[in-house]
Amino acid sequence: MQSSFDLQYIIELMPILIKYLGVTMEMALWGFLFALILSLSLALIRVFKVTFIQHLAALFISFFRGTPLLVQLFILYYGLPQFMPIFIGMDAFTAAIIGLSLHFSAYMAESIRAAILGIDKSQMEACLSIGMTRLQAMKRIILPQAARVATPSLMNYFIDMIKSTSLAFTLGVAEIMAKAQMEASSSFKFFESFLAVALVYWVVVLFFTRIQHLLEKRLNKAY
Amino acid sequence: MTNFLKKSLIAFTAMASLLTVPAFAQETVKVGMSGRYFPFTFSKQDKLQGFEVDIWNEIAARSDYKVEFTTSNFSGLFGMLEAGHIDTISNQITITEARLAKFAFTTPYVIDGVQVVVRKGRDDINGIEDLKGKKVAVNLGSNFEQVLRRVDTKNEINIVTYDSGLEQDVALGRMDAFVMDRVSSSQLIKKSGLPLQLAGQPFEKIENAMPFLNKPSQIVIRDQVNKALAEMRADGKLAEISNKWFGTDITQ
Repeated sequence: MQSSFDLQYIIELMPILIKYLGVTMEMALWGFLFALILSLSLALIRVFKVTFIQHLAALFISFFRGTPLLVQLFILYYGLPQFMPIFIGMDAFTAAIIGLSLHFSAYMAESIRAAILGIDKSQMEACLSIGMTRLQAMKRIILPQAARVATPSLMNYFIDMIKSTSLAFTLGVAEIMAKAQMEASSSFKFFESFLAVALVYWVVVLFFTRIQHLLEKRLNKAY
Repeated sequence: MTNFLKKSLIAFTAMASLLTVPAFAQETVKVGMSGRYFPFTFSKQDKLQGFEVDIWNEIAARSDYKVEFTTSNFSGLFGMLEAGHIDTISNQITITEARLAKFAFTTPYVIDGVQVVVRKGRDDINGIEDLKGKKVAVNLGSNFEQVLRRVDTKNEINIVTYDSGLEQDVALGRMDAFVMDRVSSSQLIKKSGLPLQLAGQPFEKIENAMPFLNKPSQIVIRDQVNKALAEMRADGKLAEISNKWFGTDITQ
């Protein structure tokens, strides 16, 4: 069966998708915020080689980098409640945010660690020689420089995270991909529906790419 | 160092717990569906609707429960049921032995079966036993050919596999009949507008119902749903909803 391309349908679908774009962006922004906090902690633990915890951090990173995000979401939302009833109260939206932040923090931790290690060792030595503690040196001297180095790759992960929120419909979160799929099931206009949702993701990513440029410009000012 | 770590950990858990609001209202039944199975459950102009939605709104009107619909990919529905995120699934779930062992089903609300369809006005074919020596169309990839072969042990039915357009050929008289599940057949007749009719009763009954977890608290809900369904069956509401979406009664 052939049907002609229906531009009108795409135009009509857009307001519905945009209405649910908030859900998608909320997941991505919360997810990224938590992932940032968690990944920075993980990176510092590994850089400072904190006794024992550094091995836990390494295990954490290994697991969350080594298994698919979808599997992690399923474990979190469908698996855990079976023997830890406390998780039944967790709604799909929260589960998606926790899953996204755990998964991406593992990747981001390695990026941040690499950025920190990329700052010349002599800087830390200089800080210690004038009496700063290691943590002070990290906060005042090393991290601001590492942030500049890490920004492009962290923004990359953020963009990836925006797109990964499309997995949340598998947990029942009504975000833009969910709406596109459901509308397609009654109109049978699959091509148009998915093209429409692809365009929405694309425009959002373009927007954040622009922000990335501005951010990088700012961070590079001193150089 | 440890201080900084502690702070960030506390911040993380605090924010995470703020997001986690356990949504527990005892009178609410959470019904899971795919939202992608036209016309049972689908979304049009951002409004969830369909046969299943109407059925549940009616159940809610007749019981003490409020209904909350959760749409999720079909692959996630049984996981949500087992994890307790939803109370039941309303998505044409077929009762099978394996599922019966695990879940407490309501009484069937849709009875489906394998259906023979012929050209309108034709009365010599009234079921599978009349198909001997006839040309019968089936869709490629469906299991209806196997179903027919199982009945047709002496190879007397001339089965032709179609990729598409089998309804056209039956309407034109090129084929004597086609075989499909009854609900899809009814849909096809309605949507295509072709001169076709269902020939006799379906065979190989398929019963669809809603599964609940086999726990006392869930059985209570299941029984209430059964009561509402029985009432709806008795006063014709079930048939009415079915007619609205399918132009025929698929509930018996």
